[in-house]
Amino acid sequence: MKEKKKALRKNVFREIARNKSRFISIFAIIGISVGFFTGVKSACPSMTETARQYFEEQKLMDISLISTVGFDEKDVDDIKKIDFVREVMPSYFADLIVKEGDIDSVVRVMALPDENPEINKPLLKEGRFPEKDDECLLDSYYAKLSGVQTGDTVTFSEKAENTPTSDFIRHTRYKIVGLADTPLYLTYARGSTNAGSGSISFYIMIKSKEFVSERYTKIFILTDASEKVASTLSDEYKDLVENEKKVLEDLSQSCISRFRDTTLSDAKTELQKARKEFSDKKAEALQKIADGETKLADGQKELEEKIAEGEKKLADGQKELEDGRKKLEQGKTEYAEKIKEGQQKLADGRKKYAEGKAEYEKGLLEYNTKMEQAQNKLDSAQKEFDIQYELFYKTTKPQAENKLALLQSGIDVAEKGIENIRSALRQMKNIGIAGNTDSLKKRLAEYEEQLADLQEQYDDGMLQLADGEKQLNDAKKQLENAENEFLSQKAEAAKKLNDGKIQLDEAERNLAAGELELQIGMNTGLLELQQAQEKLDEGEKELEKGRAELETQRQKALAELESARKKLENGRKEADEQLSNAEKQLSDAQKKIDSLENAKWHIYDRDDNTGYTGLEEDAQRVDNIAKVFPLFFLIVAALVCLTTMSRMVEERRTETGTLKALGYSSADISAKYLIYGGLAGFGGCVIGGLSGVFTLPQIIVDAYGVMYLLPKTKLVISWDSYLLSSAVAVLCICLVALFACRNDLKLEPATLMRPKAPKPGKRILLEYITPLWKRLNFTSKVTARNLFRYKARFFMTVTGVAGCTALIVSGFGLMDSIKSIGDLQYVDITKYEQVYALSEKGTAEQKAELMSKFYNDDRFNKAMLTYMGWSNTSSRNSSVTLSARVIIGENTEDFQKMFILRDRKSHKAFTLENNAVIIDERMSDVLKVKKGDTLNLHIDDMPCSCKISAVTENYAGNFIYMTPECYETLTGKTIEYNVVLTTVSDTAKDIQHKMANDFMKYDDIVTVSLISEQVEAIMDTLNSLNIVVFVMVFCAGLLAVVVLYNLTNINIAERVREIATIKVLGFYSLETANYIYRENIVLTIVGASAGLFMGNLLTGFIVGSIQMNNVMFPKIISPLSYVWGFLLTLAFSMLVNFIMYFKMNQISMVESLKSIE
Amino acid sequence: MKDFVKFENVYKRYKMGEVTITAADGVNFSIDEGEFAVIVGLSGAGKTTVLNILGGIDSCDEGRIMVGGKDISHLSKHDLASYRRYDIGFVFQFYNLIPNLTARENVELAVQICRDHLDVDTVLDSVGLADRKNNFPSQLSGGEQQRVSIARALAKKPKLLLCDEPTGALDYNTGKNILKLLQTKCIEDGMTVVLITHNSAITPMANRVIHMRSGKVISNMTNPSPMPVEQIEW
Repeated sequence: MKEKKKALRKNVFREIARNKSRFISIFAIIGISVGFFTGVKSACPSMTETARQYFEEQKLMDISLISTVGFDEKDVDDIKKIDFVREVMPSYFADLIVKEGDIDSVVRVMALPDENPEINKPLLKEGRFPEKDDECLLDSYYAKLSGVQTGDTVTFSEKAENTPTSDFIRHTRYKIVGLADTPLYLTYARGSTNAGSGSISFYIMIKSKEFVSERYTKIFILTDASEKVASTLSDEYKDLVENEKKVLEDLSQSCISRFRDTTLSDAKTELQKARKEFSDKKAEALQKIADGETKLADGQKELEEKIAEGEKKLADGQKELEDGRKKLEQGKTEYAEKIKEGQQKLADGRKKYAEGKAEYEKGLLEYNTKMEQAQNKLDSAQKEFDIQYELFYKTTKPQAENKLALLQSGIDVAEKGIENIRSALRQMKNIGIAGNTDSLKKRLAEYEEQLADLQEQYDDGMLQLADGEKQLNDAKKQLENAENEFLSQKAEAAKKLNDGKIQLDEAERNLAAGELELQIGMNTGLLELQQAQEKLDEGEKELEKGRAELETQRQKALAELESARKKLENGRKEADEQLSNAEKQLSDAQKKIDSLENAKWHIYDRDDNTGYTGLEEDAQRVDNIAKVFPLFFLIVAALVCLTTMSRMVEERRTETGTLKALGYSSADISAKYLIYGGLAGFGGCVIGGLSGVFTLPQIIVDAYGVMYLLPKTKLVISWDSYLLSSAVAVLCICLVALFACRNDLKLEPATLMRPKAPKPGKRILLEYITPLWKRLNFTSKVTARNLFRYKARFFMTVTGVAGCTALIVSGFGLMDSIKSIGDLQYVDITKYEQVYALSEKGTAEQKAELMSKFYNDDRFNKAMLTYMGWSNTSSRNSSVTLSARVIIGENTEDFQKMFILRDRKSHKAFTLENNAVIIDERMSDVLKVKKGDTLNLHIDDMPCSCKISAVTENYAGNFIYMTPECYETLTGKTIEYNVVLTTVSDTAKDIQHKMANDFMKYDDIVTVSLISEQVEAIMDTLNSLNIVVFVMVFCAGLLAVVVLYNLTNINIAERVREIATIKVLGFYSLETANYIYRENIVLTIVGASAGLFMGNLLTGFIVGSIQMNNVMFPKIISPLSYVWGFLLTLAFSMLVNFIMYFKMNQISMVESLKSIE
Repeated sequence: MKDFVKFENVYKRYKMGEVTITAADGVNFSIDEGEFAVIVGLSGAGKTTVLNILGGIDSCDEGRIMVGGKDISHLSKHDLASYRRYDIGFVFQFYNLIPNLTARENVELAVQICRDHLDVDTVLDSVGLADRKNNFPSQLSGGEQQRVSIARALAKKPKLLLCDEPTGALDYNTGKNILKLLQTKCIEDGMTVVLITHNSAITPMANRVIHMRSGKVISNMTNPSPMPVEQIEW
């Protein structure tokens, strides 16, 4: 026996080694399925457990109390006495303003928990806890968002609303020393408040002694409830807490009445006192103001007098100055006249002098001319004389002398001749020659005559020369006379001229003297005048100075007076303000006392923390998805295993026969398959499953973690689910193995050892539709027939592929459905954009007045007074109680524009009736009521019931709509509208914030919420489902690949002979691949098409299963999702075909065609 | 054509783990065109290996194979497929018909990838299957299936018809009929036929008989006067 089993076991392992891909595909598909199922199933417990641990470790309160009047130690002690109370921590909080640029941000300032008991312990993310008083912890999420870091400071505005910040906390600046999360805030929503814009931006935590208030503003309580139950998200816990809240409610009554008796009456007395003090002070202040006013008037008068005096003095000075000026003017004229006179005289003298001078010059000129003329005459006479003289002496005289000399010589000659003749005659006489003496005596007579003639001529010449000389001397004498006359005449004329010149010079001298005199006179006059002018100017300057001085003094006095007046005014204003402040304080105090009269405790539990319920719902949603998808996976996995195992059993047919023939029992033989399948399944469960378990929940929970401020997720693996799904998977595969081999085991060994006849070819239905069949080409026919030949495989492939497509389509479809909620609900159904919550105290008149402010503000399109209340709603058809919003609009017309009430399918509009309500579709489903049924309501503490007139389309939230009349009939109360719903013309966020800020100023408005922000918050939560969708699509793809791979693998294995044959026939690789793939492609297309349809159904199913009590997920699949589903499936199929191509190429013809063993 | 098929020193070794089996150990032979050649030998003599290599569905490790003057020993995968497509007709012992196709369609499957082929109906008629054309293989007897197989090989107008123990799975008479058909095709159409068998009794019908043992050709004899199949008894 032992031996046998050993061999058999060996056979099993050899089998695995030989057919790795088959083993792996079973392994993989089981792994994916189990991993996915367990993974998604673990997400919910992981999330809740992480939250639970977080709450436990941080000691999240079970109940918190806020009183309108605060708490004192007695209240705390009273609470401590309650038996279910484990720990009580009184604490403080305040909503204060931090200015960031222009925006006032509201900051919730909370007290750090005390050492003991440490309830709502903050989880430090960075830095340290505050040690000094002015240190704080900051909201870590806000730090991340805004970039504020440790070391920065938070600075508060001086005032929060009308109360100074210092009334709340001791410092205005706090240094951030650490970043932390508090279990009080699970999501990023920071809630609303009635300060500032109405929504809290972030929180900080400071030491509790930093709070000024002597009364605690908040009390946190840890009760038994969270200790008693396993999950604080359970209904059991909620019931426990609900009961505890009732006890506290009762306690609050006694505490409040004690408060009224002690603190309040004290306060009243104090107020009385304060009133008295106020009126005293008021009178005093008024007296002071009156005094000041009198003083001021006196000062005014004094000033006026002084000014008048100064002005008079100035006027005198002015007059004096004017006189001086007049005198000066006169002096100036006089001076001018004198000067003029002198100048005239001088001018006359100058004129005369000029005349004299002209005359003299004329005389001089004349003298000069005459002299010149005379000189000229003289000169010419001289010249002529000189010429005559020269001529006489040089020519005439020498000539005459020459003539004379000549004549002399003639005389001499003649004398000599006479002598000679005489001598000669004497001689003759002497000698006596007397003959000739007659000739000689004649000749002597001739000579004598000649001599006498010559003598005469000579004498004549001599006479003539003397005469000439005499004439010349005469002329010379005459000339000398003329010259002498000229000289004497000239001297006389010169003398005359000189006399004139002397006279002139004297006149000139006189003139110069006169001019000098005038000049001197002028200069002195001018100097005198100047001096006078200077004196005048000086006088004027002095006057000016006097005037300016007066002006400055006046100004100064006026300014003094003015400042005094202002001071008085300020004083008066201040006094007024102080008085009115005091009055306001008094009236505030009165109001406060009034409000304290109806003091109330607000009791909250964990559900009131933001995100607390959302966490639970989110977890539940993932869990719901986990119910559907993995189941689908498992079915597909089982199908795949079935085909694979069947194929294996078939392949091992001969072996089975041989074993049987050898005498092994059926059990032994089937054990092989059981072990094979079991091992693959088990391995898949262990490795695949565990890898899924350790990754998927983490991915999903991390995705949700983005939404929640939770510490790192603690994986809580749903081992139940893991074991269950593993068991189902292994069992399934074993059953499949048995099922697969059960047929073969029935057969005789001989039959088994014979090769199983290949599945006979058969005509398919299509062939009988001859016209169509004929039209198909050969390969299409082959494909068609092949497709129908292996029906099981056909079915399997189509199912697998369809499953994959369906998963993808529903994944995308789910995303579409989720995405559409926002638009459907807040675009199509509810149209209002802002909600202004009104104070409870407002009267109808105040509301009407407030509404006019809305109507007059053109930033609003519409504004409607609305009643929004809550009602616990139930019906007799269902055990569920829903908390639904009751909505009543004041104005039917506006109401119909803000709430679209219609049938989801037909879009037929509904109108409200006075005796019935309209409810939303989800409520109708959950409470199992429809039109005409009766709904049990609990409005404003008044139980009542009403008929349903219609069920309206709605997606997010539960709503009951009715008319004001209906409300009044049902409750018997007058309707008190508590909100204003508005639609705006510009939906930009900052503009809406501005509007909110503007309207928060009105006392009647308590909070403002913007629908767009709510939608964002809702969509954020819902969008986190996307990650689940992606995981789904990814796994679907994985599934598709595995299924297709497996099936193609089997297809090829089964037809390896056929493939080899066509290869032998000479088909090329691609042709061979096409021969097989054509079927695959057709199968994929058929499967994908079927998958689109299935995807639609699956989406509907999933959407149905993730419905929440207050959210109706619409089933919406966009065409694109179908396209994606189809294309992705084809892509996966192509991927598989691509992988298989190589495998097909490797098929050896020789091996495959070997004779069958 | 002389030496239509020629094997020159062809070696083929299979590695089975650490053991190397030499299936063809220096095979040398040649076959003339139009001959009916029979390769005989015991199981494991290497005759199927030789036929596979000749048919282009296996490759040799060494040596040269010439078919119609073309060396097929170093063809690429794709060229081998073409060679099979246009030059070779294969007839298997187990017919290897596509079970999902009728007799006619099986022939069509081969024909549709050929450029030049015979008329499908004519071929089926010629192998005596005029009445069974539209039957699926499972509806046909072994002999009929082998006829379809032969028709499928012939329709391609191959240069070489290779038959791997075509009568191995058939009874005596049917086998005889099939051999007759092959002989007729060889004689009448001048088809070169290479047939392997372990049954040496049928060698007289061949033009050429090649004996193999342990991967080697031990004799290659021609038979100038082949006997008609009908006269052979075994």
